[in-house]
Amino acid sequence: MLSACGRLRCKALPACARCCSRDISRLVSQTNGSSRERLSTALDHREPDRIPLDFGSTSVTGIHVSAVAALRRYYGLAPGPVKVHEPSQMLGLVEDDLRAAMGLDVIGVFPGKTMFGFPAADWKEWNFRGLDVLVPGDFRTRTESNGDILIFPEGDETAAPSGRMPVGSAFFDAIVRQPEIDERKLDPADNLEDFAPIAEVDLDRIERSVRSAAASGYGVAAAFGGTAFGDVARVPAPFLKNPKGIRDVAEWYMSTRTRRAYIHTVFERQCEIGIQNLARIHARIGDAVDCVYLCGTDFGTQTSAFCSVATFRELWFPYYKRVNHWVHANTAWKCFKHSCGSVERFFESFLEAGFDIVNPVQCSAAGMEPAELKRKYGSRLVFWGGGVDTQKTLPFGTPQEVREEVLRRCEIFAPGGGFVFNSIHNLQAGTPVENIVAMLDAVHQFNGVVHA
Amino acid sequence: MPDLDKLHEAVIEGDSKAAAAVTQAAIAAGVAPLDIVTGYLVPAMDEVGRRFECEEYFVPEMLLSARAMKASMEIVRPLLAAAGSEPVGRVVIGTVQGDLHDIGKNLVASMLEGGGFEVIDLGANVAPEQFIEAAATRNANLVALSALLTVTMTSMKTTIDAFQAAGLREKVKIMVGGAPVTQQYADAIGADGFGESAAAAVALARRLVAA
Repeated sequence: MLSACGRLRCKALPACARCCSRDISRLVSQTNGSSRERLSTALDHREPDRIPLDFGSTSVTGIHVSAVAALRRYYGLAPGPVKVHEPSQMLGLVEDDLRAAMGLDVIGVFPGKTMFGFPAADWKEWNFRGLDVLVPGDFRTRTESNGDILIFPEGDETAAPSGRMPVGSAFFDAIVRQPEIDERKLDPADNLEDFAPIAEVDLDRIERSVRSAAASGYGVAAAFGGTAFGDVARVPAPFLKNPKGIRDVAEWYMSTRTRRAYIHTVFERQCEIGIQNLARIHARIGDAVDCVYLCGTDFGTQTSAFCSVATFRELWFPYYKRVNHWVHANTAWKCFKHSCGSVERFFESFLEAGFDIVNPVQCSAAGMEPAELKRKYGSRLVFWGGGVDTQKTLPFGTPQEVREEVLRRCEIFAPGGGFVFNSIHNLQAGTPVENIVAMLDAVHQFNGVVHA
Repeated sequence: MPDLDKLHEAVIEGDSKAAAAVTQAAIAAGVAPLDIVTGYLVPAMDEVGRRFECEEYFVPEMLLSARAMKASMEIVRPLLAAAGSEPVGRVVIGTVQGDLHDIGKNLVASMLEGGGFEVIDLGANVAPEQFIEAAATRNANLVALSALLTVTMTSMKTTIDAFQAAGLREKVKIMVGGAPVTQQYADAIGADGFGESAAAAVALARRLVAA
């Protein structure tokens, strides 16, 4: 929908002159008391007063630490090093002051341990290629002669490193430590070392985190871990010192064809443990969270998928259905599924399996045209993402191009609710801060927010 | 004489043990190594690529077929070299500096090898100077650059610029691919071609070496 001046019309602002003239660079959110209601309304497929915004509530809707630092500088917030709460992707913690400055509506509750098996606690300083940051106390690294940075599982420098950040990269990739596979000795229990009944101390931590998050007035997105079936980010087990079983990503993919009984056994047991853990967590926290990020297994590539719908339904669907069914039968939580890529073909199955929310809604992938997604699934699936492209527009476009794309996406996804604004996956290192601000300003403009 | 159609079938079905066994038997029976490649492995991988393009096959099936093809090539490759057989082209391939992702690159490498190319695979996180050295010393006529990440695909331009600076740009064709890469980006950084998929990369490579 275009206004008289040729710009997209903001739904909440009928007069174009208002939307074009507003200075929202000094935005301060004063309404977080209604943020939770806003999120809840959107998740229920009703149109909230504004589109809720999320950045930083999960490990798939986050912000690279360098971008967090840049945003803090832009908004004139208290200086000081930013906490890297998820070291594998080097995600920076969005503190309350930045959440308010960005006008966000969601706060996160994170798993007890990071991808490298140590807690995000006991902060210490670390210089990340010229940027002073805070990292967890057990974040221990070694720099190789070529400049690559290696990181150790559980902070144990006597173990083989489990992650590598090459020169030119801005986060760690898992180092594959695949023991030689002897088919006769291959035991599904080896791939189950990742999953265990939750400890009381972890339940205590979750309860504290959830209570604190719920008291903030923001919507709450929680990730408890343990229900990501076959997520190749976790298959190499960078959090374990001595991973066993199938740990090479390519080998895992092939195993979904050649060792399907093995995979079923892993998923079956993982599912049992996962549901038992969710039940114990729910007994502690009740319905104090709005949604649970349950699984980040990617099924899409840029142009295609990692498997057929038939394979998905045979291998993954039964376990997703059991987890989601338990959640819906026993809680008020919404079930959040992340999958990058071209995944429209799976959406009916996601729905049937009980997922309520999809992320990141990669509109740049094949078959992910925003208006068509909204038309076919908008009344049934919540789109948590899709707000702006992070492969081209946000990192390489102009602020005006960012603004136009954001407004177009809001026009498409906002009507009737079922939309939480987030970029397509995390805000990456190197993204110009003026583009991030242009994105936020466009959403707020669309929303017609009140300024300080 | 072994039934070489079973080699074709083994590659398509991703059965590496069968692929190796049939290849061994064929060599023992006196089948020319080049005939094994051109008559069976190349058509089989072409069929795998076709199935991938029309979504009968996905990444797991591609990986299995590539592994079966490699099992056969492990036997055939030294014999081809000893016989002085010339490949369709000689390609240096790698994931660019800063990027450790190699599944897509490995699939492209396998498809190129299955397409009759000699493939010099430098792995992941490959510096521009490594590409240049390999292309020069191995007399490659094609360089294939892969990137999965938006933040690392700029290394493709750095690598192409390095070939220019080294005076080698006119001696090789450079093709690029990976999730964030587009034809527009390939044009902008001065690449000679962009492959959207592993199968498309083989077709592109054939066009580039024929040009």
